[in-house]
Amino acid sequence: MSTFSFTLNGEQIGPLELDSDTAMIEVLHEYLNMTGTKFGCGIGVCRACTVIVDNDDGTSEVMRSCINNVGAFNGKKVRTVEGHATTKASGEVQLSPVQQAYIEGYAFQCGWCTSGMVNAATVLIEQLRREPIKKNQIESRIEEALEHHICRCTGYKKYYESLKKLIEETEELWT
Amino acid sequence: MADPSLARRDFIKLCTIGGIAVYSAPSLMASQAKAPTPKYGEHGSPKFRLDAVAKVTGSKIYGRDLRSADMDGWPSAQGHAYLVRLDRVDKIYNGLNLDSLESNERPSKVITASTLASDNLGLPGFFGANAFVQEGTAPEYYGHAAALLLFDDFATYKRAKSKLKFADNLARWGDSVTRKEHDRPPWANWRIVRQEGAGGRTGDDVYSVMNNGMIFPDIKNNQPDWPTQGNESGDSLEQAIYHGQKLRQSLENSTDSFVLHRQYKTQSIEPMMMEPEAYNGWFDRASKTLHIVATVQDPQEVAKEAAHVVESSNLKGSVETVVMHSPFIGGGFGAKDHSIFSAYGLLAALYAGRPMRLANDRFEQFQSGLKRHPFDIDLKLAINKSSLKFEGLVADIKVDGGGRANFSGVVTMVGASAIQSIYYFPRNDINATCVASPGVDCGSMRGFGTLQTMAAMEMAVNEAADQMGVDPFDIRAANMMLSGDKNTQGAIPNMGLRYDEMIASARQHDKWVNRAANKQAYEADNPGYLYGVGYGIATKDYGTGAEAPAAMIELGRDGHIQIRVNSMEMGTGTQTSQAVVAQRYVGRLAHDVVMAEVDKWSSLQQFESYNPYFISQEQQDEASKDPRWTPVVAMASSASQSSYYQSHSTEVAARILFRHTLWPAAVSIWKASYFNSRYAAIDFGDIDNARWSGGKLTANGYPPLDLATLMDYAYENNMITGVMVHAFNRWAWAEADFAIEGKNETHTIDALALRQGDGSNAGADDNGYQLVERSRVDYPKASLNNAMVTYYAPAAALAELRVHKATGQVEILSTHSWLETGRMHVRELVEGQIEGGLVMGIGHTLLEYMPTDQTGPGDGTWNLNRYDVPKAKHVAVWNMTHEILPPLSDTDPAKGIGEVVMIPIVSAIVQGLHQATGTYFYDLPIKPKQVKEALS
Repeated sequence: MSTFSFTLNGEQIGPLELDSDTAMIEVLHEYLNMTGTKFGCGIGVCRACTVIVDNDDGTSEVMRSCINNVGAFNGKKVRTVEGHATTKASGEVQLSPVQQAYIEGYAFQCGWCTSGMVNAATVLIEQLRREPIKKNQIESRIEEALEHHICRCTGYKKYYESLKKLIEETEELWT
Repeated sequence: MADPSLARRDFIKLCTIGGIAVYSAPSLMASQAKAPTPKYGEHGSPKFRLDAVAKVTGSKIYGRDLRSADMDGWPSAQGHAYLVRLDRVDKIYNGLNLDSLESNERPSKVITASTLASDNLGLPGFFGANAFVQEGTAPEYYGHAAALLLFDDFATYKRAKSKLKFADNLARWGDSVTRKEHDRPPWANWRIVRQEGAGGRTGDDVYSVMNNGMIFPDIKNNQPDWPTQGNESGDSLEQAIYHGQKLRQSLENSTDSFVLHRQYKTQSIEPMMMEPEAYNGWFDRASKTLHIVATVQDPQEVAKEAAHVVESSNLKGSVETVVMHSPFIGGGFGAKDHSIFSAYGLLAALYAGRPMRLANDRFEQFQSGLKRHPFDIDLKLAINKSSLKFEGLVADIKVDGGGRANFSGVVTMVGASAIQSIYYFPRNDINATCVASPGVDCGSMRGFGTLQTMAAMEMAVNEAADQMGVDPFDIRAANMMLSGDKNTQGAIPNMGLRYDEMIASARQHDKWVNRAANKQAYEADNPGYLYGVGYGIATKDYGTGAEAPAAMIELGRDGHIQIRVNSMEMGTGTQTSQAVVAQRYVGRLAHDVVMAEVDKWSSLQQFESYNPYFISQEQQDEASKDPRWTPVVAMASSASQSSYYQSHSTEVAARILFRHTLWPAAVSIWKASYFNSRYAAIDFGDIDNARWSGGKLTANGYPPLDLATLMDYAYENNMITGVMVHAFNRWAWAEADFAIEGKNETHTIDALALRQGDGSNAGADDNGYQLVERSRVDYPKASLNNAMVTYYAPAAALAELRVHKATGQVEILSTHSWLETGRMHVRELVEGQIEGGLVMGIGHTLLEYMPTDQTGPGDGTWNLNRYDVPKAKHVAVWNMTHEILPPLSDTDPAKGIGEVVMIPIVSAIVQGLHQATGTYFYDLPIKPKQVKEALS
């Protein structure tokens, strides 16, 4: 057993006493009851379990929570799909731009891969905010960001096109 | 956590099985919907799916998400179960070896075959015997379960599983046993023979399944033993053999016909729905209540089967109530329909003494989840050399059903009946056998047998055209079924057939027209590649021949519309489409659609008593005298089932509500407030003049009235405010008469219940409904089962691809799809089906493969590291286009298209590969190694 702490969607978690081989997704599911991050393959192939880690330098990156044990997240700032939307004073849920683009584009069906797709796309958008790209690079950057994510329902097209539309409509992301 | 003394009245009674009441809990979605979310729309097409916000924010809506702490009234401590499955069938199993477990790794309970035997517990009858391998016997199939290990907490479970999961010494093995190919009887045998009569394609048949009934062989040495001698005037079986043999002989001796004889093979496929199966159950011994949360496509069935299992065991009396909590599921593709997994979850729950969760990881899902059946097809296609007309079809099909029967019988039947694809055959003899094997169980995976057979027919048509030196579209045009033609069973497909439009469009597509020139240009520009274009078309039946959709619609006093259906939301968008369906009658999208409703239907008081597929006409006639009898009470959900069948019931319910409440309420209000009714009578005209505009009802120029106004009047005057219906379809809808408000009406349903006002009327049940007994019912004849299928939806695909010469790698460059789906509920949902189906078809053709022997997934080592499913890079994601035929009119029904969309791409790719490489491929999947060999 070892002790682990991290920040999850802005909230301090821990210290938690856990077996050191406990996967991060198991911590989320079985110890924190946060199940928005989905278990797909358990071997890091399908990317359904993708979460975001925010680095101290202001950058963000994706990490797979099924093949990375909790120790890999110790002391880090972690974002999951539950952390993107905000709630207005009226109580209405305000989705993130990526979430809004996906729902308006009918991007997903069963939705099991959606949290991973949201996180991967969110990191891409954050990268483009820091370093805008040429407009003719949009498709290839989307391919890079989502290429490993497996979806069994949709055929990927609506995910890709929704994200492309969002980037094209957000002018600060490209030059 | 909520009050653990959750009152029983919070659940709604479904039925009683052997003294056990089965209930469903309030929708788990309801708690997620409390927070205000962006509005999905009011009229027309919704802005997004009804479940979109919950899914995109990671809400707990899926079965796998739910732990005991999430469940109202459950204890918070969550146990975890590990199902031990065995990876070999060639040795005697002599028990488990758990010696390697340390004290903090040991299960609190171990459930084995002997445990079950002592309690007289077993599997639901559908799954057969031997839930666990008995010591002293060999496993029947790879992945056969040996024991359930129950753990009190996650940490212990994790430690033990980590140690046991791939351990070689988990089981104690004894002597070797020899497995023979036919060591068990086949799961099913079908023979579909038809001989067109002198009256031609529209005249009476000389012989057909439809006219003469189904035939079955004797079983000898565990193999079908069809008679060797036919008789033209003998019994049905002898006649079938006579006509079948005559056809087979004519194909051997024909000189006027071109006969293509080929063998096609398809592989075992993992459905790979993204959410692996999970089950969480709590057997509350104090209250004698069994709670179930399961990731299934058939929650009604799972709940009822749980009651049956308990009722027939020594535990009888210890369970009085089964409560089914129905969550959303993260994909199913048929693998969560009648999966044995739920039975193991039930056993774990019964023995646990605390909430117990059984959840497959992906290795376990590969090892034990239902698979798509592999087909071996020997096909002979006879074509008249001058007219290009098909003269006959002979097919011998062998299907591997795996270790348990599951739906192998019907999958084989549907696959056999689908091999004709879109074509008319004057004669056919289709002989299909599904064998039992040691492979992992196969079930009703997407395609239901038709992906395998229809793709083979299209491959044959493309190759035959090539060999005969004719345009494949000329062959298609000469042989496509026309409206009113008969299928291979002798049944006439329902609705018009529009294959001609689809073929005409495809043959003019620029990629097809210019394929030769494009090939030349592409290969000149890309010297390392070969280029090809191919086409395929298919028409897939939808429905099971025993569909039983139930629906209810309720309008609140404020105009709030709630719909409840018995379908499950698997991701296809059923929930959203049902919200749209009612719009025609209630003027706006439903505010709320509750899925997988299990037991509100108790108001209909229905029961069933026979297998709907094997019921005799006499039995049906007698049973239907009881106005509460129905052939099927509840159905499972599938991809192609909701848009047509479920929508039918929802639409009928909404129409009754409109005719009996919304329209008369509007007329009354107009008369009272907008006309001098005291001085003159007014006829507001035909109800058909009613129009919804901006969510308000108007007619003949009278002021539009909103739902709140209409429903306030309805509640005030104790009018109908809720309608609940149940329908039955055996390739046609049952029709029945009901007295509604004193008038006899005929509807295409077989049960009806109504709510008046707030549901507190005398005579109303606990749901607030009152049954309206039917006075007459007309069920489709039992012999319509012989049709096997009659509802079809067609799709076609064009594939442009290239082959890397050095590696044999196939890359899709672009695709174009055609679909005829009738009237669409939501375009984006249909498009999603087209795109997703296409991609799954690409995986079937080029990527996905598992052996069925000891090296296959039954050994427990398979996962996505060695099983390739299509990713975006495989499917030309930016170059995926489609066209959807407009409906003939706005009265077209919405057709079931969730399965057909994956079929035509198979033969399109195979034909494209032929243009690229000059080789036809017959075994799927076509991997780079095969392509490279063909090029060498």
